[in-house]
Amino acid sequence: MSYSDTWLIVPVYNEAEVLGDVLSEALQTFPNIVCVDDGSRDDSAEIALNSGAHLVQHPVNLGQGAALQTGIEYARSRPGADYFVTFDSDGQHQVSDVKQMIDRLRLGEIDLCVGTRFHGDTDHIPWIKRLLLRTIVLLSPGLRTLQLTDAHNGLRVFNRTVANQFNITHNGMGHASEIIAMARRHGWRVAESPVTIVYTEYSMAKGQSVINGVNILFESILRTSSRR
Amino acid sequence: MLIQYLLIIGVALLLVFFLRHHGTSRTAAWVKVGFVFFVIFSVLAVLRPGAVSVVAQWVGVGRGTDLLVYAMAAGFAFASINTYLRFKELEGRYAQLARAVALRDSRVPENAATGEREPESDDDEKPRK
Repeated sequence: MSYSDTWLIVPVYNEAEVLGDVLSEALQTFPNIVCVDDGSRDDSAEIALNSGAHLVQHPVNLGQGAALQTGIEYARSRPGADYFVTFDSDGQHQVSDVKQMIDRLRLGEIDLCVGTRFHGDTDHIPWIKRLLLRTIVLLSPGLRTLQLTDAHNGLRVFNRTVANQFNITHNGMGHASEIIAMARRHGWRVAESPVTIVYTEYSMAKGQSVINGVNILFESILRTSSRR
Repeated sequence: MLIQYLLIIGVALLLVFFLRHHGTSRTAAWVKVGFVFFVIFSVLAVLRPGAVSVVAQWVGVGRGTDLLVYAMAAGFAFASINTYLRFKELEGRYAQLARAVALRDSRVPENAATGEREPESDDDEKPRK
């Protein structure tokens, strides 16, 4: 199975330590990868380009949501791009999970497939993180109606329809809730797929900490309260 | 206590209106008008503290000073919301600008399978300040 119709969108912010390995592994399966360097201060950008990924650079740091939007706009302008994947740069996501999700999308029954950590065994997730993610789901009516269990999973696969309508206006970390809101507004057919998140020492130190979760919670509440 | 109802209902109504119609020139005009009233009220409060006390009595606040404090608090709340919304708007524009720059300067790897454009020259490798 060739994945030349698929683009991986990888937001990058100071990930020089692991980025090279993550990219070279992903490139073996997915020839088309675009890295969005969100104003990194290390040499992430050069590493991305040298490993064979396309590179788009924010002149200033904007945040993950903005980086995703930039990457999607770049990828959807490429000829032959039919499937799009948002993929973390810190090695948390598995290529095999992405393949599964794309194969599912190819059947044409769904538009957007979101990864979830909450299928089967969840013992590998730190308990405080579990609690926080659960709370976010409980507080979000959108997630409940779409029956999604994992609000802030960065692994998403979607088709051209979704990519064309995709418009994140929230620069920071509130973009996951915004994507859910978009899905409801545009009537995308959404499903989730079990994925494994590898929590390495590195990604735990870098990843969305609990404190950040509080920010996300706050932003989600604000966003849902002001319907504009 | 009439003042409690007045304050709560007034602030809630204004808040709803504000969030609904933020960013239109009409709202901006009303904000300015409100500000002018606020200034007039403040000046009067300085010149004639007695008059403010009378008004405070009408609405059921103890003293004119208390009425001023309430008005200040409400004013401050609005200023904060206004600033917050303004900032959000600015952030959105700033992001669009940065995105346009980023997409214009995109770089394709030399060994790209689908690169139909020439890779950019490598003279902008240093991180921009």
